[in-house]
Amino acid sequence: MLAAQRGDAAAYRRLLVEAGAWLQRYYSRRLPASMVDDAAQEVLLSLHTKRHTYDSSKPFGPWLAAIARYKWIDRLRAMKDAPTEELDEELAVRDHGEAVQSARVLETLLATLKPAQANAIRLVKLEGLSIKEAAERLGQTMALVKVNIHRGLRQLSERAQEDGHEA
Amino acid sequence: MKLDALIERLTEDLSPVRPRRVWIDALIIALIAAGELALLFAVGIAHLDMHRVMSQPTVGWRIVSLGLISLVSGWLAIRSFDPTFSARGSMRWLALIVVLCVAYGVLTSGLPVAVASIVQRLAWHSGVQCASKIVLLSIPPLLALAVLGHRGAPTDLRRTPLLIGLAAAAWGAFVFVFACPFNDPLYILTWYGLACGIVTLVARLVLPRFARW
Repeated sequence: MLAAQRGDAAAYRRLLVEAGAWLQRYYSRRLPASMVDDAAQEVLLSLHTKRHTYDSSKPFGPWLAAIARYKWIDRLRAMKDAPTEELDEELAVRDHGEAVQSARVLETLLATLKPAQANAIRLVKLEGLSIKEAAERLGQTMALVKVNIHRGLRQLSERAQEDGHEA
Repeated sequence: MKLDALIERLTEDLSPVRPRRVWIDALIIALIAAGELALLFAVGIAHLDMHRVMSQPTVGWRIVSLGLISLVSGWLAIRSFDPTFSARGSMRWLALIVVLCVAYGVLTSGLPVAVASIVQRLAWHSGVQCASKIVLLSIPPLLALAVLGHRGAPTDLRRTPLLIGLAAAAWGAFVFVFACPFNDPLYILTWYGLACGIVTLVARLVLPRFARW
């Protein structure tokens, strides 16, 4: 960012690409999928217009996170104030039976694993957390989370195959 | 527009910028505030007999209280233009300073018991004039802080305008001390308090629209 403040375009492009990827991950956990791109772009624009407010004596991450959080709250406020359409009582919707069935099967399979393995898989593979975040949430090391996911998935795969054979 | 296209556009639009420095913002505000005070003396609105002014019983309390509130809230306001700064914790200390300053005034005011005495001591006609002048004197620092806030990146649009309003109001009142002939703590608490309250409230209500980015 310091190089970008001085006008280094190559460094700035690298920074924006990395910041954009981080912002998409950040918003994918906080906003509906349809809004993630818009929100990330809005923050990149703000980063551009407010780049002079970055203090080079401090780390860049918290500065970007503060802007992302500010824009997120702004967006939530706008969503709250936006007019909503009342839905008809009888509305044709897609049948979610298959998805529900899959979710139930998955939960049944996860229940057969050790809690540490099941929790690691839930957080990382289903909720989309990073290994680091999952490790913090579970109070485990990152290596242990990876091992739990690996072993858990292997066991799930074996059990799914066994069930398939039985069926 | 896709993210990649936006990144290309922003990269093409890149130009060198001068990083914001907190101390430069503080210096700008200090110069404006000092200029206002100097102007007050230059045009003869302030008392020329400073020895007599300084011997007034409440002048020390007024100068220390308003100067301190203005200094602390002004500094916090400038710091809050940085997106990573949170004024939440510091505002408790600021609130404590305000409460202590007001409490000192209340304790030394000698609470009146009779309604007639209150009306007489408040001298509402002069009081309204004093309050109006304090509001006017608050405008230059208020505008300067608002412009600096707009140029910065404040992320707390409730506290930052509040701090700007309080700093500007306290400075306006501080400057007015040198022109105010009244010494009654009850009068000062009421009219100075009213003027500061109005400026702070207006800043709180109006500035969020201006500071949004």
